[in-house]
Amino acid sequence: MVVGDLAQEVDVLVIGAGPGGYVAAIRAAQLGRSVTIVDKDALGGVCLNRGCIPSKAIISAAERYMHIKEAGDLGIEISGDVSVNMPKLIEWKNGVVKKLTGGVQSLLKGNQVDIVYGEAYFSGPNSVRISNDESSQTYKFNDVIIATGSRPVELSVLPFDGKRILSSTEALNLHEVPKRLVVVGGGYIGLELGTAYAKLGAEVTILEGTKSLLPGTDPALTKMVTRKLKKLGVTVITEAMVQGGEVNGEEVTVRATVNGEEKAFTADYCLVSVGRKPNTDELGLEIAGVELDERGFIKIDNQCRTNVEHIYAIGDCAGGVLLAHKASYEAKVAAEAMCGMSSVIDYQAMPFVIFSDPEIAYTGLTEAQAKEEGYDPIVSRFAFQANGRALSMNHADGFVQVVADKETKQLLGVQIVGPEASTLISEAVFAIEMGANAEDLALTIHAHPTLPETIMEAAEGVFGNAIHMVNKK
Amino acid sequence: MAYEFLLPDVGEGIQEGEIVKLHVKEGDKIEEFDTFLEVQTDKAVVEVPSPVTGTVRELKIKEGDVVPTHSLIAIIDAEGEEPAAEEKAEAPQAEEPKQADQPAAEKTQTAVNAGAARKGNVLAMPSVRKLARELGVDITQVKGTGKHGRILAEDVKSFASGEKVAKPTVQPQEEPKAAAAPATAKTAIETTGTEERIPLRGIRRTIAKRMVESKHTAPHVTIMDEVDATELIALRKWGKTIAEERNIKLTYLPFIIKAVIAALRQFPTLNASIDDEKEEIIIKNYYHIGLAAATDNGLLVPVLRDADRKSIFELAEEIADKATRARSMKLDASELKGSTFTISNIGGFGGQFFTPVINYPEVAILGVGTIKEKPVVHNGEIAIRPQMFVSLSFDHRLIDGDVAARFLSRVKQLLESPNLLMMEMR
Repeated sequence: MVVGDLAQEVDVLVIGAGPGGYVAAIRAAQLGRSVTIVDKDALGGVCLNRGCIPSKAIISAAERYMHIKEAGDLGIEISGDVSVNMPKLIEWKNGVVKKLTGGVQSLLKGNQVDIVYGEAYFSGPNSVRISNDESSQTYKFNDVIIATGSRPVELSVLPFDGKRILSSTEALNLHEVPKRLVVVGGGYIGLELGTAYAKLGAEVTILEGTKSLLPGTDPALTKMVTRKLKKLGVTVITEAMVQGGEVNGEEVTVRATVNGEEKAFTADYCLVSVGRKPNTDELGLEIAGVELDERGFIKIDNQCRTNVEHIYAIGDCAGGVLLAHKASYEAKVAAEAMCGMSSVIDYQAMPFVIFSDPEIAYTGLTEAQAKEEGYDPIVSRFAFQANGRALSMNHADGFVQVVADKETKQLLGVQIVGPEASTLISEAVFAIEMGANAEDLALTIHAHPTLPETIMEAAEGVFGNAIHMVNKK
Repeated sequence: MAYEFLLPDVGEGIQEGEIVKLHVKEGDKIEEFDTFLEVQTDKAVVEVPSPVTGTVRELKIKEGDVVPTHSLIAIIDAEGEEPAAEEKAEAPQAEEPKQADQPAAEKTQTAVNAGAARKGNVLAMPSVRKLARELGVDITQVKGTGKHGRILAEDVKSFASGEKVAKPTVQPQEEPKAAAAPATAKTAIETTGTEERIPLRGIRRTIAKRMVESKHTAPHVTIMDEVDATELIALRKWGKTIAEERNIKLTYLPFIIKAVIAALRQFPTLNASIDDEKEEIIIKNYYHIGLAAATDNGLLVPVLRDADRKSIFELAEEIADKATRARSMKLDASELKGSTFTISNIGGFGGQFFTPVINYPEVAILGVGTIKEKPVVHNGEIAIRPQMFVSLSFDHRLIDGDVAARFLSRVKQLLESPNLLMMEMR
């Protein structure tokens, strides 16, 4: 502490203003606490500024472009060229982001949350030092919620240069459509952006280290996506181990071992998306006495409390699945627990959504997981090809799959690959959370003609009596 | 493989039972047919044997729980079979963190996290789970009454109130604030003394239910009379010595039973019941006499089946046996049901007249009070004679006052002149 430095005293401090931090700040304020939130960057965190929202904006634009190009199938004739103005696309995307971050700001202000910009570093269990370009100030707090999130992992053999070798952050701010793009890492980020740029006209190659795209996702779902990638002209190379790469002016060459052979992939851009790591290394957590696990995630209990009584951690920095909605959920638990409520992390189903083409979404248990947990599962699948709305949208690839317990018909999981899967999954999450069985879904009227009818049909299929398919005996 | 041990039906069609004693704990080895636990059904304690030989992996119940039949009570690792799948350690996956774009920590949630998100263990809506937390209830301990064991808000609430009383708590008066803790806030009344809360369980709960049912259903009327017991006393005294030679303890009850049966033959509507649903009167041509017996756990009514076909000595022997076993809770559930008429004898405790509650669905009950010497008019003179006090409660829906009065007079007559009993003998 600098001599003469007067500590600012606050009640609750929230570090990080992403989908975890700002939600925690608002909930704590709603519960009557006086809250200060600090972020070193823009409000909204990765999600709003460099993740979920900007990527979805670009994906939507790419999709719209594809729709227009394919509109001929639907009898729409376009005279003249259809082209992409990338700077304008990015400008529109930035507008969307700005609208949302502005919304977060007014929500925080509306809840009397004080906003401070700067980097926080613990100077003790009850104090942090917050520094920015202009000043440095010590803050003392009663309780703190750490919500510092995560950042892209860098490959030592292929470090980011921000110009040709990109992380997802820069890949969301390109002012031109790459002619050729190499994506290192076939997880959901690489897949989503790779697909979007392929649709916008890039020649895309995805290098994945494991045996398949989207490791950890049900292969039945991934198969539909792989098929579509082929149609889009995307080259997918699995079991490719990247050895290094070089930038030569406006080109980048990535070297990888495939089947024991070293191959070179040259493109004008390379996106490296091989995972994320927690932002817990530059916080001074050891000074506060907060314990981390062996991978650097903060250890928390079921109330998001760390080993230090008044220090909470939520979202990506606290491990578990790295998802914005999980961070927001934990945010409410932590804020409420901090205010003496009995809230705990207690959910039955976590939704996973991937904005691939077609979209993938799943929740609960797959058939294999259900067996592992000791259930005798029954699986029913209903194809979008048999759904009127999907066909009339001209997007009928994919299916809905319901996994239920054979004896009680309790709903254990739902997997969807197909149009609007990301939206459809919410019904499944809700059903599982409510403890519904397949019959409950089957007995619920689903509006016609809509995509969710497929969920009802798949649920009926559990009983072997779906109407719009011939049921397996 | 893991054997899922469901609570068997221990009596005929019994719905639930209270676990009174666990003979095993988690980790214990148990042989097939060895006693696993003791469960108290409506009126009896039954030993439940282990269905398999193996190791008790997990107990889903604890002593004092009231458990519905067919619900899961324990998981036993049956011998010779592998432990269930979920116990197998997850094979650590060789990961390629540099190449895998999987959210890195997907499989390494903190232990508490993983536990909270485990599927399928609790079937309850999120709002109900929240309610459980607010009430301080461990929801995994709550039995759901909904479909497939779904836990409803009501289940949590009743568990909460049950659990509160399960731990007998004495609230010291000096600390009225303790009484106003959230959990008991609604029921907290300022008391001047201490109070103890005991769960209404097992026999006491059954008694409470039955008593209310009887009083709600059958309009009770009680008539009373005195019986001159001079000859009965003499007869019993004479018989007692003979009985002792046979190691039988002869009380007045067998004589009273015989008198009652003789009177029942004459007035069959007292050995009957009403089928409320079908609106029919069931007249019974058999005589199963229930005997209200006091035990430490509360009132039990062992049944003497076909008492009309048993001798006085046989009845005396059976009464002694059943009373002993009732007190040690060793009666079989079947020995506690099916009576057609009940006798409640409080004579040993000193009361005179009382208004016994009918053992529904029976329609009448005879209450026998003490025998006491008192001045009465005998043969035109005041004399001191031993008097026995009898009370008859009857269901006025089926039995009119005159019938009841004539029945009781007949019983009185038979007991005052026990020689007549011989005349009625078949």
